[in-house]
Amino acid sequence: MRQKAMFIVPYALWIVLFVVAPLVLILYQSFFDINGHATLGNYANYLTSSVYLKMTLNSVWYALLITLVTLVISYPTAYVLNHLPNKQFWLLLVILPTWINLLLKTYAFIGLFSRTGTINQFLQFTGLGSHQLLFTDASFMFVAAYIEIPFMVLPIFNSLAEINPSLINASYDLGATQWQTFRKVIWPLSMPGVKAGIQAVFIPSLSLFMITRLIGGNRVITLGTAIEEHFLTTQNWGMGSTIGVVLIIAMFIIMFMTGDKKQKGGRS
Amino acid sequence: MKKHHWSWSAIYLTFVFIILYAPIVYLVVFSFSSGKTMERYRGFSLQHYADLFADSRMITIVINTLLVAFLASLLATIIGTLGALAIKDARRPWKNSLLSLNNVLMVSPDVIIGASFLIFFTMLGVRLGFVSVLLSHVAFCIPIVVLMVLPKLNELSPTLVDAAYDLGATRWQALTRVILPAIAPGILAGYFMAFTYSLDDFAVTFFVTGNGFSTLSVEIYSRARQGIDLEINALSTLMFIASLLLVIGYYIISKHGGRRHRIVVVREGDAQ
Amino acid sequence: MMIGETPMAKNIMEFHHVSKSYDDNVVLRDISFTIEAGKFYTLLGPSGSGKTTILRLIAGFDQATEGDIYFDGNRINDVPANRRQVNTVFQDYALFPHMNVAENVAFGLQIKGVAKKQIDQRVKNALHLVQLDGYGDREITAMSGGQRQRVAIARAIANEPKVLLLDEALSALDHKLRVQMQTELRQLQRQLGITFIFVTHDQEEALAMSDQIMIINDGKIQQSGTPVDIYDEPLNHFVADFIGESNIIPGVMKEDYLVAINGQDFECVDAGMRPDEKVEVVIRPEDLDITTVEKGKLIGTVATQLFRGVDYQITVIDQRNHQWKINSIHKTQVGAQVGISFDPEDIHVMRYNESEEDFDARLDGYEEED
Repeated sequence: MRQKAMFIVPYALWIVLFVVAPLVLILYQSFFDINGHATLGNYANYLTSSVYLKMTLNSVWYALLITLVTLVISYPTAYVLNHLPNKQFWLLLVILPTWINLLLKTYAFIGLFSRTGTINQFLQFTGLGSHQLLFTDASFMFVAAYIEIPFMVLPIFNSLAEINPSLINASYDLGATQWQTFRKVIWPLSMPGVKAGIQAVFIPSLSLFMITRLIGGNRVITLGTAIEEHFLTTQNWGMGSTIGVVLIIAMFIIMFMTGDKKQKGGRS
Repeated sequence: MKKHHWSWSAIYLTFVFIILYAPIVYLVVFSFSSGKTMERYRGFSLQHYADLFADSRMITIVINTLLVAFLASLLATIIGTLGALAIKDARRPWKNSLLSLNNVLMVSPDVIIGASFLIFFTMLGVRLGFVSVLLSHVAFCIPIVVLMVLPKLNELSPTLVDAAYDLGATRWQALTRVILPAIAPGILAGYFMAFTYSLDDFAVTFFVTGNGFSTLSVEIYSRARQGIDLEINALSTLMFIASLLLVIGYYIISKHGGRRHRIVVVREGDAQ
Repeated sequence: MMIGETPMAKNIMEFHHVSKSYDDNVVLRDISFTIEAGKFYTLLGPSGSGKTTILRLIAGFDQATEGDIYFDGNRINDVPANRRQVNTVFQDYALFPHMNVAENVAFGLQIKGVAKKQIDQRVKNALHLVQLDGYGDREITAMSGGQRQRVAIARAIANEPKVLLLDEALSALDHKLRVQMQTELRQLQRQLGITFIFVTHDQEEALAMSDQIMIINDGKIQQSGTPVDIYDEPLNHFVADFIGESNIIPGVMKEDYLVAINGQDFECVDAGMRPDEKVEVVIRPEDLDITTVEKGKLIGTVATQLFRGVDYQITVIDQRNHQWKINSIHKTQVGAQVGISFDPEDIHVMRYNESEEDFDARLDGYEEED
């Protein structure tokens, strides 16, 4: 018994100090203004300001688009991977890029997309002319989706791999075509993976701030960018915390909608 | 028909892999360019590697980053494994609350973690720097370890522990000789994941680091905003090779790794 | 412990009014029994009967809610599993996946701190006893189900326990292998001379292997005795139904040695009941014979007939619409009118709600009369 008690001490300490306390603190902080006076002003400010509301909607809209693009690319990828011999190896190849530091990859895109970068050189070569790629919504979404693809592929791949092959044979046996089998058997059975993937992509997409700055050139302001700005630039922690609370609420809504039955390939 | 189906998927997959690896290849190629920008390849050169090794600030930062990742994942693995053992033994209502609390940091956006830790450290009066970064990394790595270890614990047959007691083992012996070796793949995977999470982190570190201390991500962020320097390409290439070697090593170990890997397989009851 | 050290007929294990409940769920109700050293015991019962719970109490994985458990004369309720001289063969074998065969078998000995040389010898011996000589270096994954079973047995006996517990140990094997292992286990028990307590839901297995069977149902011991006793003299409906096949018919005891079934009086060998006491009558299918209508004590029509290799399983419906199960080596015809014959000693009469002690007393009573 005593041993068991000792096991839990460091872990319990972690829960109290680094899970509960920070969440309580961010809520607490959201009720203080920049001068340290208790106030509800931050919330009032947030709810009445068209800037903040528009930014929230924008942020949700972009996160939705990023999630959708990622899903559309990732589902077929996971599906095809699952039919390959040595599929674990190919999956590893999909995951490998996540081992490269996020900033390094983003940095590569700055080079690729720049006015005189490789893509523009290619476009000019094919006669399509040079375009402004960096600091556009499209490039921002492309890079965000690029970053998120492995986190979407992984859970979908896992749930597809878990499907008992005899279920698919049974479907054919009962007269279903390939398409019907996909729609009525494979797709519904892979839903847990899709939901886990959406969860793993949507929430980080809401709070991106590094890519919005480096690739989006501050054209896109997400909830994440706003929080970073309030905390590290304007030092208005109260307002930053308030937006943080909004983000946490959004997070819970997503988790509720996608059902937190199974958590696979989630990330911080 | 099967053949036809496969060729379309092959094309698609090739396309996806090209996109996934294009930026990496791009970084690697230009690290060997003698030019100063990533615009036009200007002939082979190792100049940027020389620059990198001469840049003592960068070298320090790389060492810092590795040190934080090493220590954070080690501590997180110990605490997380103990946590997983505690969760496994916990009774129903407690178990579910512990699991939910465990997953809070898994699903929280990085900015929230970063911002809340910043408030936390400021209130406690912890100086922002190495300690605050290390503590933060340990904190967000623990739940990953728990999530990697817990399934291994759950698939451990309860009779296995009974068998250990039956054969005379004490609690401690059952833990060190049966449970820990049997869940070793999970612990190892947990350490691995924690290490990569720590290496990869930018947002949390960005919030909780002070002036004196910087990790690779934060450094690249500030340099990228000032303009491109091919020294970073050289660094990317080295890091890519390192992670490639790690992955290949891991793959070989798990493929031919004798016993350790078979623990995963034995539950599926292969050889009959 | 050394083989043959304990004198025969000594009680190695005693349960005194033991009850066990998990939360509100009562699994064992006031159970008492004794286990003699050096015998092969079987705890037989359907799933959920409480038989595995008894095993877990003996092994020390669970604690009794009430009552006392004695091992070799000492109360062991509070002795933890790792300090009991009892070893278990688990249903799923519970072999340590990260150790090879020899390491598994050596585990208990290493824990005890036995010298390396001696461990090697004892592992070798144990593997020899289960006919796995030379398999020590194999990985568990490279072993078949039957081989894993043998490793599990070797791992338990290497510790030289006084009592070996086997929890549904053969249930994962296919039929042929199971029958073979039954013989081997019996031999092994004789060879080692230690007590085996075997838990199973398979009555054939129990009858084939045991010196003593305890039939458990609903958290109580329904009957205990030798396989022959239990088969020939089932104490109640449950036992009669659970062990072998049987025809169980309500009847009335007219007087000693005369019972009425189906409105007809039959001679029997049972006595000691009240006149006109309502009873249940058991007749085993193999004790019933098909004869001509004239010679039959009962007359009926053949409803079904199944060939089972050794014999035919026949059902006959008598004139009162009662269905009789008959096992016969002779073939008959579905739809034929036949007679059913049996001898007085084939009839076994059971009283309602008779306890084991009452039953034994009654048996003694009329055996003395004879």
